[in-house]
Amino acid sequence: MEIAIQLDRVSYTYPGVSSPALKDVSLAVPAGQICAVVGANGAGKSTLAFTIAGFIPHFYHGTLQGEVTVAGKKTQSTPLSELVTQAGLVFQNPFNQISGTKFTVREEIAFGLENLGMGRDEMLARCEAMMALVGIGDLAERSPLGLSGGQIQRMVIASILAMGPQILVLDEPTSQLDPVGRREVLASIRGLAEEHAMTVVIIEHHLEWLAANADRMVVLADGTIIADGSPGEVLTDEAAWQRGLSRTRYTEAARQASARDCWPAGRRLAVTLDEAEEGFRAAWTS
Amino acid sequence: MLVGGLAMPGTWGVYAFMALVVLPLASWGRVLKELVIATVRVAFPFALSVFLIQGFLWPGGTPIFAVGPLSLKSEGLAFSVASTGRILMVVSSFLWFAFTTRPDMLMLALVQRGLPTSLSYMIVATLQIVPRFQARAAAILDAQRARGVETGGNLIHRVRTVLPLVVPLILSSLIDVEERALALEARGFSRPGVKTSLIEVREATWEPGLRWGIGLAAVALVVLSLWLR
Repeated sequence: MEIAIQLDRVSYTYPGVSSPALKDVSLAVPAGQICAVVGANGAGKSTLAFTIAGFIPHFYHGTLQGEVTVAGKKTQSTPLSELVTQAGLVFQNPFNQISGTKFTVREEIAFGLENLGMGRDEMLARCEAMMALVGIGDLAERSPLGLSGGQIQRMVIASILAMGPQILVLDEPTSQLDPVGRREVLASIRGLAEEHAMTVVIIEHHLEWLAANADRMVVLADGTIIADGSPGEVLTDEAAWQRGLSRTRYTEAARQASARDCWPAGRRLAVTLDEAEEGFRAAWTS
Repeated sequence: MLVGGLAMPGTWGVYAFMALVVLPLASWGRVLKELVIATVRVAFPFALSVFLIQGFLWPGGTPIFAVGPLSLKSEGLAFSVASTGRILMVVSSFLWFAFTTRPDMLMLALVQRGLPTSLSYMIVATLQIVPRFQARAAAILDAQRARGVETGGNLIHRVRTVLPLVVPLILSSLIDVEERALALEARGFSRPGVKTSLIEVREATWEPGLRWGIGLAAVALVVLSLWLR
């Protein structure tokens, strides 16, 4: 199995700070996997995203120990301008990711390609393909400043994908969106992973979506990985709950049912709607 | 256009230039109404202050009529009419340029002629960020109102509102700078090497000739103006 992202005993301390934001983190993400990263605020999730995308150590200097390999390239020794074509990073605030110099969505998506020095015909073709991919083809001639938060975030994802990365790192891409925007963005991400076999690392608080869509879940607390496994295993892990991991509404329902002997004995607690339905049906029929 | 307008001889030359050149060009560019409204809004306070100061405080001169100890002088009035014309010319020509030129196209053309990309980015991004800045200021003002800060009322109340608006506006903008820089890096902005452009600045074959013609006309007007003095 090809490994897209490899972190080997990585620790990182921001400049001017004494305690490390990441402590001895080791992680291997196979190509094509959707890896969810969850944890409380200040757990080190964004730092992990910056490390994978190469912004640490190229943008945030600080002290980085250990080795980070992304798409076969050591991030410490590869220029950031090269890394961004291997691992694209999408941030929380959609409005801060608009270049601020373009007047249409198509031009905005082409911004990164212009910086790469791509020819105009290829640029146009990529723009059209990426807009279709995230479902914003009808917005091509609209001003980026006139879009909703969800539309901007999808435009940003298209802009990043246009640069051809094999890996997409999303740092809470829906945290500043309304429910409609959140649904639009998450549907686009799911489509990307299913149809284009991209490696996706997503930091997200929407556990129900992660439980149904992620292949793997990593829990960070105080800069270290405290749980790593399938969403079903991690989200029902009592030790992780005690370290502050939230439960999906289905896990909570199953947990309370279990406490009242209304959940099948020996069955793992539900983390998705389908699992909850199956569990309650089984409890009802037995 | 600006040089030509300011070079027009006589007090009314600049007004004639505006009527015969600036306004028809604005009409051709379908920005006549916006241009007139914006020009009046911007130039009126200057024109009024010039009229009051020069008209009434002109040393010596011929009085037209008196208001108490002050009298309006004909020389001061003529000076203020000429100055107002120049102010209107400067404001209207800059606004015509701003209303009819896409900044990104202008910058692209300048980059193709050697302007550094980073400088071009700073100029266009600054122009584009204004609406976002206004929206944020409005949001902060609403938030302050929700906390009971009085934002209306007399001048003193309004001045008191400035601090709770400006401080969060500046701080939040500074915080955004880092994320904006990250977003630019994520799009390869600082990558060395040749950059390309999706937009093509196409120039018609007659445009270089027109540029030279306009330049020569401006020089001719300046020479004419000097000769007529």
